[in-house]
Amino acid sequence: MARHGPPWSRVDAQQERDVRELVRGVAGLQDEADPNFQLALNFAWSNFRFHRFLDVNSHKIEKTIEGIYEKFVIHSDLSKAASWKRLTEEFLNAPLPSIKEIKTDAHYSILSLLLCLSDSPSNSSYVETPRNKEVEKKDDFDWGKYLMEGEEMDIGPYMDTPNWSEESEEENDQQPLSREDSGIQVDRTPLEEQDQNRKLDPCISWKADEPDDRSWLEHHVVHQYWTARPSQFPHSLHLHSNLAAVWDQHLYSSDPLYVPDDRVLVTETQVIRETLWLLSGVKKLFIFQLIDGKVTVRNNIIVTHLTHSCLRSVLEQIAAYGQVVFRLQEFIDEVMGHSSESMLPGSGSVPKKSTEAPFRTYQAFMWALYKYFISFKEELAEIEKCIINNDTTITLAIVVDKLAPRLSQLKVLHKVFSTGVAEVPPDTRNVVRASHLLNTLYKAILEYDNVGEASEQTTVDEWIVHGHLWDGAREFIIQRNKNVPVNHRDFWYATYTLYSVSEKTENEEKMSDNASASSGSDQGPSSRQHTMVSFLKPVLKQIIMAGKSMQLLKNLQCAESTTCQAGARDAERKSLYTLFLESVQSRLRHGEDSTPQVLTEQQATKENLMKMQSIAESHLELDDVHDPLLAINFARMYLEQSDFHEKFAGGDVCVDRSSESVTCQTFELTLRSCLYPHIDKQYLDCCGNLMQTLKKDYRLVEYLQAMRNFFLMEGGDTMYDFYTSIFDKIREKETWQNVSFLNVQLQEAVGQRYPEDSSRLSISFENVDTAKKKLPVHILDGLTLSYKVPWPVDIVISLECQKIYNQVFLLLLQIKWAKYSLDVLLFGELVSTAEKPRLKEGLIHEQDTVAQFGPQKEPVRQQIHRMFLLRVKLMHFVNSLHNYIMTRILHSTGLEFQHQVEEAKDLDQLIKIHYRYLSTIHDRCLLREKVSFVKEAIMKVLNLALMFADGWQAGLGTWRMESIEKMESDFKNCHMFLVTILNKAVCRGSFPHLESLALSLMAGMEQS
Amino acid sequence: VAVAANPNAVRETMDRMLNKLCNAGLDMETPICVRLCEQEINPEALSSVIKELRKATEALKAAENMTS
Repeated sequence: MARHGPPWSRVDAQQERDVRELVRGVAGLQDEADPNFQLALNFAWSNFRFHRFLDVNSHKIEKTIEGIYEKFVIHSDLSKAASWKRLTEEFLNAPLPSIKEIKTDAHYSILSLLLCLSDSPSNSSYVETPRNKEVEKKDDFDWGKYLMEGEEMDIGPYMDTPNWSEESEEENDQQPLSREDSGIQVDRTPLEEQDQNRKLDPCISWKADEPDDRSWLEHHVVHQYWTARPSQFPHSLHLHSNLAAVWDQHLYSSDPLYVPDDRVLVTETQVIRETLWLLSGVKKLFIFQLIDGKVTVRNNIIVTHLTHSCLRSVLEQIAAYGQVVFRLQEFIDEVMGHSSESMLPGSGSVPKKSTEAPFRTYQAFMWALYKYFISFKEELAEIEKCIINNDTTITLAIVVDKLAPRLSQLKVLHKVFSTGVAEVPPDTRNVVRASHLLNTLYKAILEYDNVGEASEQTTVDEWIVHGHLWDGAREFIIQRNKNVPVNHRDFWYATYTLYSVSEKTENEEKMSDNASASSGSDQGPSSRQHTMVSFLKPVLKQIIMAGKSMQLLKNLQCAESTTCQAGARDAERKSLYTLFLESVQSRLRHGEDSTPQVLTEQQATKENLMKMQSIAESHLELDDVHDPLLAINFARMYLEQSDFHEKFAGGDVCVDRSSESVTCQTFELTLRSCLYPHIDKQYLDCCGNLMQTLKKDYRLVEYLQAMRNFFLMEGGDTMYDFYTSIFDKIREKETWQNVSFLNVQLQEAVGQRYPEDSSRLSISFENVDTAKKKLPVHILDGLTLSYKVPWPVDIVISLECQKIYNQVFLLLLQIKWAKYSLDVLLFGELVSTAEKPRLKEGLIHEQDTVAQFGPQKEPVRQQIHRMFLLRVKLMHFVNSLHNYIMTRILHSTGLEFQHQVEEAKDLDQLIKIHYRYLSTIHDRCLLREKVSFVKEAIMKVLNLALMFADGWQAGLGTWRMESIEKMESDFKNCHMFLVTILNKAVCRGSFPHLESLALSLMAGMEQS
Repeated sequence: VAVAANPNAVRETMDRMLNKLCNAGLDMETPICVRLCEQEINPEALSSVIKELRKATEALKAAENMTS
């Protein structure tokens, strides 16, 4: 093809050159004589001249740009979309090299060219590769390129290198943060990584053999200040940046003996970074040295712009904090690693304990510390990133200032730690240590409320409550370990007596109880004072109750092997927890509405606390329920909790400082108003559950009914069968004391109607007090009914209770015995026995005493009549007494009792109700010592009745008029006495229940 | 601010960025293309030329590789 000149006259040499250059550049053909080059050139020209394309349409271009923007958005590549938009706009608004106007056709045609080029080759690669690159590129370029403009304007590839190097440096610098070797390998990795990175992107050519390669490396890779001798740093000669040298010179000139030491020159950035590493817990550092657990500053460190001693004093302060960090870290490791050397000192009787993990309060504390350190390290990493990016000026002073709140927090933490944990003598028991730690924390809270360190407060709160719950858990764990396996019934009682002391010392006591039980040594009282966790006191009872209930429940359910229930309850508790959170939130909102300034702070504190508490509570329960579950839940709850923190962070920020003093005062109030109700609620749930289980699954109510049926003879027909058989024997003067006879009778009677109970019931007889036995009413003394109550219920119906039941039982038996004896007397008996001897007498003395027959018959009749009368009177008395006790006392009190049992909230209350019931019936049956004279009078009457019945059966012949009269008068006296006493009591109104007895006895009186 | 201060640098920045964003593959050719566009060369024609040239170059290179 012939060579063409420029196609039309307007085309100047420049354009011709440009096209040639284009062909050279794109096709890579350097030799213009190459036929291919000519071909290409011709092709280009013909295309430029004879194309079929329309002129550039700015609207179309704008639309396309908009379309691409939307495409980015749709691909949710927002940063790219933004940069796209921004760049296109900037481009359109910027003048071109030869065109000063903006938004000209030339602009649009350039854009159009780019769009055409981009569109064609591969849409997919277009979507992916540029996306990843661009986001990072953009910012680097804006800053770095802008600052270095001028020099490198046209050198495409070189501009990319700083980006790469910065990236790789960042990667490498991040590593030492997490490693202990303080980044000594930093200088090895970057080259390789750069190579890799270069290969990834063909667009960027980083020429490794460029001469400034080495200098670049030197600029961008950390100098090994920890090994090599310091090379001279490039720095200005300004006085300020040479202060160290100037000072040195001054010393040198003023002090003839001054010998400059070997100094290692570091930069401030290096110092800052080591500081950050130190605070984040790295142990192997250059500037700071860890020697025998003490952090010291290397002596010969120097920076150019500070004197040696100045730098040193600053660094020593930092080193002190580093020390604190190490100590706390050590504690964390210790607890985490379960290293038992100092955590669980063997105190003689605890071989079991040493295998346990360090106890819970410490674990909780550790956890809080751990969490705190994580956030602290995040903050440090943040600062370090700033340093790496070189975005802002960072000096040591700025860093220290920035960290000031953290450092003061660290100080407090350490204080708490050292007083709460480290200073505790190693052989203290866990409980004491736990409560000691908690108290320290509590005090710290109050203290820092005053100072106004809000953020600390939250942290400390965290622990308190964690610890608190753990303490609770611990408490119960102790119990569980020791008591439950030994004796289920004692479990409840041991604690029962303990918290009636109403102090935290119960922990202590419990411990000492256990100790004395196991080893016989008594060391309790000495350390009791330590163990008051003061803020817990008000809700202590509820917590303990809840804990115990859960414990018991757990045991019960274990017995039933219902593992699924644990899960169900777990879920339930979860919902409780969320409920709780909700209530807290609403509270907070409420507080903000009314007096936001003052309340927010408190509320923030509050909700922290409460939240923790609730976590605590549920953990407490959880812990009792299922140990492995604990860990999972703990983590889960913790997450929730941090969410919560975030949620309320806003509230925290706007807090007025003045409000903090209020917080202190209201801290107790806060606890009271927000914490305790929730504990209460938990407690109710817990105990309610227990009550439900006891009543439903363990038929508590049925057992109580059984006690009343047999001991209090509410099962009248059954007991009637039983005692009449005994009474018959006694009446017939046969031996009835035989235990097997008694038991057979009992089984026969009970077995018919209550087959279940017959196996549990037994009766025994022991000979007591033979002197008393002579009185017929005491013949029954020594009969003891016993009922075998199965385990969980025997917490309520204890042996002590059975004793009281037995006392009432005996009284009832005596009354029944008297009543029976009187009831079975027949009128005919008396008459016939009276007649018989008279007949015999008559036969013998018939002849000589005929005249006396008339007058002799009269007194006998009179006697019989009087006996009838006396019998009825006695019967009236005994029946009144019997009715009074059976209906008025036992039945009505029983009804009350049943009602109360239904309403009992917790097991403890139930036990109390039962006791109260027993003591009531005990009282009302006049069995109390105080009213023993009344009982004696009654016993006397019963005795009379029995003697009377005995005499009646023996026959009239054995009676003399005097003895009848004596009986009458005795009865009358007793009767009178009782009526007076009872009337007095009734009039005083002190024993309203006695009224009916008094009235009925009075009625008997009047008749006589 | 940057735009007004240094038009050349900004232009450079712009077309680099747009280039990258679009993956147009222009590098050394950018200033030439810009100049050509300023001289009212139709951009679509220009793009088709560039694409064709690239294609041809690749084909040529492939052929050379085959023969060598």
